[in-house]
Amino acid sequence: MDFSAFLKSLEDSGLASGLRGSLYYFPFIESAHVMALALVFGSILVVDLRALGIASTHRAFTRLSTELLKITWGAFAVSALTGALMFVTNARVYAHNTAFQVKMVLLALAGLNMALFHLTAGRSVARWDLSPTAPKAGRITAAASLILWLGIILAGRVIGFTTTGAQAKEAPVSTVNFDDFLNNAPSSAASSAPPGAPP
Amino acid sequence: MKTFAEWLSATFPSVYLQTHEAWMLPVIQSLHITGIGIAVGSALMMTLRLLGWVGTDQSLLESQRRFGPWLTAALYLLLASGALLIIAEPIRELITFSFWLKMTCVAAMVVMFAAFQASVRKHGQEWEQTLSKRRSIRIAAMLTFVLWGCIIILGRLIAYDHIWGHLSPATKA
Repeated sequence: MDFSAFLKSLEDSGLASGLRGSLYYFPFIESAHVMALALVFGSILVVDLRALGIASTHRAFTRLSTELLKITWGAFAVSALTGALMFVTNARVYAHNTAFQVKMVLLALAGLNMALFHLTAGRSVARWDLSPTAPKAGRITAAASLILWLGIILAGRVIGFTTTGAQAKEAPVSTVNFDDFLNNAPSSAASSAPPGAPP
Repeated sequence: MKTFAEWLSATFPSVYLQTHEAWMLPVIQSLHITGIGIAVGSALMMTLRLLGWVGTDQSLLESQRRFGPWLTAALYLLLASGALLIIAEPIRELITFSFWLKMTCVAAMVVMFAAFQASVRKHGQEWEQTLSKRRSIRIAAMLTFVLWGCIIILGRLIAYDHIWGHLSPATKA
């Protein structure tokens, strides 16, 4: 099966059509995704700031990172799961969306960056655990991690702006069309006012 | 409120955000989400420390000094980026049930946080020894997790306010 057939089969799955058919699933899955990513970003920020020597510098790095990475991984699992659920509802549109592709690349880079941290500063952690900053390689990867995650948040938000209204050709008709539903909401008065209307 | 939202949507900054710079809205929203990440992370650290689940190598007061200012700063970032989002889309934001319920939750959270912060700074020892073990306080601390969850869900539901049915003023518009 080629890739686009695979995407199509995801869209046609009972799970995907079930999710599309409900008014409630998508907003709540999206909310869970935001909650999880807030925890992922918030916890990574604390660890990165510690490695950079900006905050929590009096605490042992390993103590802090061991505690926080449990939260990070738990929240990451939730965001990956909720992300996958949103993906299958409109797989072909997301897969071909540039912002989505950028986000996946940034996620992969964040993973690589984390591996780099473990291979460099992580190996010598016993030596700098109590010192206020990580060695240079640790500081560089910590800064890179923050930049990558900010990029992931931005790319994620852009997906919502660039896929709304987009529908793959011969996509199954959904019972509830969110786009209609969003467009029916009163849009901004100024932009929809006819020309010549009072400002 | 509808009159205000309509007036606001016709003001220059609002018209500018609506008609120019399509990239600005996702950027402001991303800043808002980043702020939520910082706020939730900081609040979580302080609450988990209060419950004695993480960070027990530092005192409650130390934990508050480390994360309190970050939460405060994040709240300002959220206020600023949130205000810009309202200016950019006044009717989408203000004429929704989700937005006002969210603001109620935010107000409750800010009051709880401010009271906690002031009290820990004044009575650090007492918090450490007795208050953090009191059942009512531990329940209140756990309730803040629920409150943060509600704030995030309601924030996202602003875009889907119709799910509230007749509670949503948007359905009457």
